[in-house]
Amino acid sequence: MKEYSQDLSSLIDNEFDDQEIIETVLGDVELQQQFSRYQLIGDVLREETDGLDLRIDVTDSVMAAIAGEALDDNVIPLATPEKQDNTVVPFMKRFGQYAIAASVAGVVVVSSLIVNQDDATDPSSTPVLSTVPFGGAAAPVSLQATPAQTENDIKERNERLEALMKDHQLQLQTKP
Amino acid sequence: MKHRLFLVALVSLVSLIVSPQLMASSEQIQPQIVKAEPKDRPTALSYLNKMKQAYNNLNYTLLYLNTAQNQIQPKQLVHGVIDGKRIAYFTYLNGAMRESLQFDGKISFYQQGSQPYSLLSHRDQSVFADIANFNFEMGNSNYEYIILGRDRIAGKKAIAIRMISKDQYRYSYIVWLDLDSYLPLRLDVINKSNSILEQTMVVSMTISDTVNPWIKQLSAQGTPDTLNLPQSNSAEIADWNVDWLPTGFKVIKDDRHKLMLHDTDPVSYLMLNDGIVSVSVYISSKKSLLADQRENIQRGATLIYTTQTDNTEVNIIGEIPLATAEKIAASIKPVH
Repeated sequence: MKEYSQDLSSLIDNEFDDQEIIETVLGDVELQQQFSRYQLIGDVLREETDGLDLRIDVTDSVMAAIAGEALDDNVIPLATPEKQDNTVVPFMKRFGQYAIAASVAGVVVVSSLIVNQDDATDPSSTPVLSTVPFGGAAAPVSLQATPAQTENDIKERNERLEALMKDHQLQLQTKP
Repeated sequence: MKHRLFLVALVSLVSLIVSPQLMASSEQIQPQIVKAEPKDRPTALSYLNKMKQAYNNLNYTLLYLNTAQNQIQPKQLVHGVIDGKRIAYFTYLNGAMRESLQFDGKISFYQQGSQPYSLLSHRDQSVFADIANFNFEMGNSNYEYIILGRDRIAGKKAIAIRMISKDQYRYSYIVWLDLDSYLPLRLDVINKSNSILEQTMVVSMTISDTVNPWIKQLSAQGTPDTLNLPQSNSAEIADWNVDWLPTGFKVIKDDRHKLMLHDTDPVSYLMLNDGIVSVSVYISSKKSLLADQRENIQRGATLIYTTQTDNTEVNIIGEIPLATAEKIAASIKPVH
C-alpha cells in the first residue's frame, strides 16, 4: 500500500508508466480513491477547482467508525432544575393577543429587576423595598417575605403587578 | 461766483467734520442691535423647537440603545413621511422578533408566534416622541431649558440641552441634538441627585430625502385587525378624587375598566399627564395583604408604587419620583 502511494504520486506527475502498476491501480478500489484524492489535492493547489464540489462525503466512514464503538455512557446529564413556579408561561397563555402590546411597548415588567432606589439624599422619601423580580427569574422569593405571606400570595401579587404594568402600557398606546 | 465756490467749500468742510460724529453715533447703536438679535445665538428653546420639527418631518433611521439599570436593549426606528402622513416602524434588534408599525392613526404589533393586531393610536409612540412633541413654550412653567454645551454623539456634532424640573415632583432631562439635522441623539432621564435613571442613545443615524422604500411598502399593506380595549363605562365615573396633582399634570383619562390582562373586578383608573410623562393610577379593593404596607418597584425611571389602606389598594405607575407618587396616593379621597 505504502509503496503504491509513491507510485501513484509519480503516476499523477506523468513520470511513471509502468503498465503493471496501472493495472494494479485499476484493480484496487482503495488505490483509485487515493488517486482521486491526490488529483483533487493537486487541483486545489493549482487553483483549478472551478465549480468543483469539494465536499467529501465522510458520513459513511464516520458512521462506520461509531458503529463499532461501545456506547460509552460517561456523559452526565445536566442537572435539570426543579420545576419552578414560572409565572411567564401562564401569563402569555392567558393574555393571548394582548401579550404583545405589553411586550412591545415595554418588556419593562418581564425583565424588571427591582433595585433599591438611590434616594439616600432624599430624606422625605421612604426606602424602596427590594422585592421579587417577577417574570420567570428564579429568585428566592421567600427570603423577603414574612412568614404570613405564602408563596402563593406572592405569586398572585406579582401577577397582579404584571397585569397592572401591562394595562399601563396598553393605556399609554391609546392615550388621548 | 467766488462766494458760491466758497460756500461749496464751506459746506463740504462742515460735512467732513460732521460725518465722523455720525459714524461714531451709529457705532454706539450697533452693539445694541447685536444684543437684540437672537439669530447669532439660538436659545435652548429654539433648538428644542427645531428638534420637534425635525423629529416629525424628516425621513430617518435610528439605531439606538436603551439603558436602564444595567440592561441594554438595542432597538431600531425607521421614520418617514408619506403624503404628509408620518409612518414609524420600530423593532427590537435582539431576542425574539417584536415589531410595531404606526401609521394613519393605528399602531400594529407583530411578534414571533403570536397573532398580530392593531390598536387605534393617535399619539406618536416612538422613542423620543414624548420629549420631542412636548409643548416647550407651555412647559416653561415647569422646566427650565439650559444649553449645556457641545458634544459628539454617534459621530455627529451635538448640542446638549438640559430641561431642569422646577420642582421636585418630576424628573429632569438632558437631550442631545444633532447640530445639522436637529434630530435627538441622546436622552437621559435624571433624578434630582443628578444620577441617570434611564438613557436612550443613538449609535447610528441615517437621514434620507425620500422615504425608506421598505416602510413605504409596509404602509401599503393591510394592517391586522384592530382591537378595541374593553369599553370603559364612562357613565359610571370613578368614585375617587385626586386632590393633589403636581403642577402641569392633568387628568386625561378617567374611567373604570377591567384589567385587560387579568381576571379581576374593575378598577378605577386615572391617567395623569404633564405633556411628557403619563402616570396611571389604579384604585381597587384590596385583594391580598402585603407584607409591608407598601411595595415599590423601580426600573429605570418607571416606578410601580403600591399602597394599601383599610380596604383599598392604590397602584401608581409612571416615570415619576417616589415622593410624587406618595403625595398623589395620599390625596386620593372617595367621592361622597
